[in-house]
Amino acid sequence: MPLTSSDQLSFDPLSQAFAADPYPTYAALRERAHPYYYEDVDTWMLTKMADVENVALDKTMLRGNDDVLTAAERKAQQRKMNWHDMPHHERFVQFNLLESEGDVHDRLRKLVFREFTPGMILKQRGAIQAFVDKLLAELVGQNEIDFVEDFASHIPGHIIGRMLGVPDEDCPQLRVWSENVVRFFNVGCDDNDKRIAEQATEDFYLYLLDLLKLRETAPHDDLLSRMLAQKQDGLMTEDELIATSMLILMAGHGSTIDVLGSGMHSLLKFPDQRIKLRDDPSLIKTAVQEMFRYEAPLPYFHRFATQDCTVGGQYFTAGTRFGLLYGAANRDPARFDAPDTFDVTRSPNRHVAFGGGTHFCLGNHLARLDMDVIFTTLNERFTDVQLVDARPEYKSGLSVRGPKSLQIAWKEV
Amino acid sequence: MTKVTFIENNGNRIEAIAEVGQSLMQVAVNSGVSGISAECGGACACGTCHCYVVGNGLVTLPTPDGDEADMIEFVIDPKANSRLSCQIAITPDLDGLIVHIPASQT
Repeated sequence: MPLTSSDQLSFDPLSQAFAADPYPTYAALRERAHPYYYEDVDTWMLTKMADVENVALDKTMLRGNDDVLTAAERKAQQRKMNWHDMPHHERFVQFNLLESEGDVHDRLRKLVFREFTPGMILKQRGAIQAFVDKLLAELVGQNEIDFVEDFASHIPGHIIGRMLGVPDEDCPQLRVWSENVVRFFNVGCDDNDKRIAEQATEDFYLYLLDLLKLRETAPHDDLLSRMLAQKQDGLMTEDELIATSMLILMAGHGSTIDVLGSGMHSLLKFPDQRIKLRDDPSLIKTAVQEMFRYEAPLPYFHRFATQDCTVGGQYFTAGTRFGLLYGAANRDPARFDAPDTFDVTRSPNRHVAFGGGTHFCLGNHLARLDMDVIFTTLNERFTDVQLVDARPEYKSGLSVRGPKSLQIAWKEV
Repeated sequence: MTKVTFIENNGNRIEAIAEVGQSLMQVAVNSGVSGISAECGGACACGTCHCYVVGNGLVTLPTPDGDEADMIEFVIDPKANSRLSCQIAITPDLDGLIVHIPASQT
């Protein structure tokens, strides 16, 4: 395909400028007539809501491209992706619910799906509230905190760990493993990152094996015990159980911490919206939705075309890799009025922060409930919250979005 | 031509003309019905298009299949007439369908 002059557009998702504010770049990409080819990762970037939704919902667009590769090509791809020498990573991270398709995906998703339905998740409200209250009791004497590290980072992992059946005292270790396992996906991942990621995956695996042994003799009312029963009934293999547990624990950590941080930052950047929410707590549901739309914590996922196709008015062959830029689609003026305005009353708010189609975020209701409880509690208890650093630094790269830290000053009512 | 009436939780009535083959969720979204956000886009994966079907529509509709039945069991405030609107295909038989939106989704 010939390059046109518009392909000279500056797209550097690893830059500090992009980390600080990716939205002007997203707008420039969205205004192009056709998708943008990002050569560094051999991917066509989709930024218009219509294109992103169409690909996410298209059952011929898959997370993996194994179907269109020969065995030799698959081996070559593993080497290119640089996890050919990471056996635990290959076994438990490259294979899971998120990375599988068709019958395997549907079978695994169905086995855990009920646990994440709205009615089941609502049962966690009391536990979330109790943990948030306990954390606040420890922090309330401090006039200034890092909202991300001192507060937000403790909550999602504790709650998802509790649902799975991990003892409270082990939850901090799970966070370390989760962060180390995903170091493989870091921008500029080097051999040291790979070594740490592989070791963490193995340690995590061995820990879960020990926990499963305990559940074999003494089942609890938790997800791990229910999955173990499913394994014993022949519905899932042990590797699938481990991979599913790791995915749930990892997915339940980082992205919710990121959106808690960016959500608080948005409220502080738009004080009129924070006051509106404080004065009318019934707005919490639309406010949480807007936090997800405004700063999607996982702004990029990919799909492979398994058939020749037309996307964004352009013809592509099978095997093409597409990048679904949820963060860009969520600011598409074709879908949202005043898309760059943070509006806690926005409704309807049909964003794609949780993706779409069969890979729609399994934990979406839990993430929203975490946010609901946390921001409702903070609004009740703290009237005066200020940003200490007006320009908090955000994580770099295309795949994650959230402040590294968020120093705030606060006063209890 | 199939007429569908949505009744939002605040009592607001929205009448829509649905095309055969559309999903009930698509009709609701296109008509701006509040409370049908249908976030997964119709994959039976999110439960945010839950609704209550009343009157003859409930008799006319095929019963929910496995995925839909699983989700309905665990939405907030499930009732005997709960359905996921993304799983309901509009047919001429559904003319006059009345659909209530749950309070939990407003």
